[in-house]
Amino acid sequence: MLFALAFYLIFFDPRQQTPDTDYYILVLGLFGSIFAFLVTLSVAARANRAVHFPFLVRLPSRIEYLTSVMLASMAFTLGVQIVMGILAILANGPKFTVGQLAVIPPIWLAGMTLFIVLALHASDLVASGWSRVYVFGVLAILLYIQSGLGILAEGIAGLTDRLGNALLTQGWTTVANPLFSLGDWIVGAGSDLIQQFTGFIFWPFTSIASASVAGFFSVAQSFAPALLLIYATILFVLAADLFAAKDLYLTE
Amino acid sequence: MIEINGVTKRYQTLVAIDDVSLKIIPGEVIGILGPNGAGKTTLFRLITGSLNPDSGRIQSIGQSWPTIGYKPERLLFPSDMRVRKYLSMMASLSNLRGKEAERAVQQGLANVDLLDAADKKIKQCSKGMRQRLALAQALIGKPSLLLLDEPSNGLDPEGQSDICRLIKQLQRRGITIVLASHQLAEVTQVCTHLLILNKGSIHYESSMQDALAERPHTSIEVDRELFSLTPLLESLHPEIEIKPESREIVLNHEAIALRPQVLSMLLSAGYDIIQIQQSYVTLAEIYAEAVN
Repeated sequence: MLFALAFYLIFFDPRQQTPDTDYYILVLGLFGSIFAFLVTLSVAARANRAVHFPFLVRLPSRIEYLTSVMLASMAFTLGVQIVMGILAILANGPKFTVGQLAVIPPIWLAGMTLFIVLALHASDLVASGWSRVYVFGVLAILLYIQSGLGILAEGIAGLTDRLGNALLTQGWTTVANPLFSLGDWIVGAGSDLIQQFTGFIFWPFTSIASASVAGFFSVAQSFAPALLLIYATILFVLAADLFAAKDLYLTE
Repeated sequence: MIEINGVTKRYQTLVAIDDVSLKIIPGEVIGILGPNGAGKTTLFRLITGSLNPDSGRIQSIGQSWPTIGYKPERLLFPSDMRVRKYLSMMASLSNLRGKEAERAVQQGLANVDLLDAADKKIKQCSKGMRQRLALAQALIGKPSLLLLDEPSNGLDPEGQSDICRLIKQLQRRGITIVLASHQLAEVTQVCTHLLILNKGSIHYESSMQDALAERPHTSIEVDRELFSLTPLLESLHPEIEIKPESREIVLNHEAIALRPQVLSMLLSAGYDIIQIQQSYVTLAEIYAEAVN
């Protein structure tokens, strides 16, 4: 709650005019996602206590328990987000058209759901073995490739070039030439291919941001929240699988 | 009801349950005895599905998976919640609504004599009351299988006999019960089947009736020490046991048939018979042998 209050005072200072609708939609949407992550970690930690063992035994399926953790986090986050949203509008907030208001729920809910499911993977309740490392490792790699692929590609290409030159001085042309070609491919077509892939993965985020700033969604962009929900669904199925199959050692 | 087939469960290198097979038959009250760390709680957690076996299978026999009421060994509750509220929540998790849920809660409270404490916060309850509450929550929703992990731990003698009475009532209602306990008297009194676990494996299994009918023996107490008669009596049968400088003769197993002969020898030697007692092995002896 302190986090929410601090966020509100910093980003929606009631003494100032909130600049624009896109600022409102994106900043509060971001808040909802981060807040959902924290709330879910907290709810999942509570759900992981041995106090709840008799509850779990009564449920026909463990997935019900996981779903209740998810829904509880969503309800709490949504409540806080709505309160903050109303306060931000009432205190020098921007003026909305009906169309602008209509885009808010899918954007906020999609981001929130995705972050809730990510938080489930980060929690002790769901994590099993190295699962946390795998999920967030893949995410970290994708983020790194997205932001610093050029540097990485040039680094690898430089390495292959140096190795190729060293081999060339030894007269091993048959090995050196493919290495030079590999270096060229990495900085050229290879980088483009990987960037296209990671660009596709992160496309919903960039689409939502650019559409919100532009003030309207193109047909393609309007599918971005749905794609985020698909990501969330895939990750939830994975979380449900992990949770259903793991040995429950609830904390006392 | 449930069949456990060659189940093994390890915690890293520790084998908590080692190739255990067991059939839980409807209507039975199975008593599980064993020292601390024998694997009783692990076995319960495997049956409830919170742990998965490393090998072997746990499956229902014939029908769908039974509804389980579980009373864990550790008494952990949401301490700020009131007793009635806690049971109401359990009722709603068992798909009971409205009047039906209220009735189930009231019945649960009455079953364990907690009606007076219904509106207390759980943190204000004594250990005995919490033990009863844990049992009450397990009973909500009419489970067909009740797993009770040390149900009378921490209760006074009166409370313990209340629990025994309750378990007998539940058995009469056809509820299958698996009970882990350190209280031999409780197990003897209420269980129809006995299982002794040690270091994760079953060391003894029998119906309670058969277990307690094992090794019958007759002890004859006379008015004074036997002295010179001892070698003569012992020569009658190897299963005749006389402790040195004792006034008691124990006829084990087949030697029981020699009782008339022994009695006439004693009487003709001028001994007065103080007491003749027919007894069987005790649960404590069975337990001690199985565990050691």
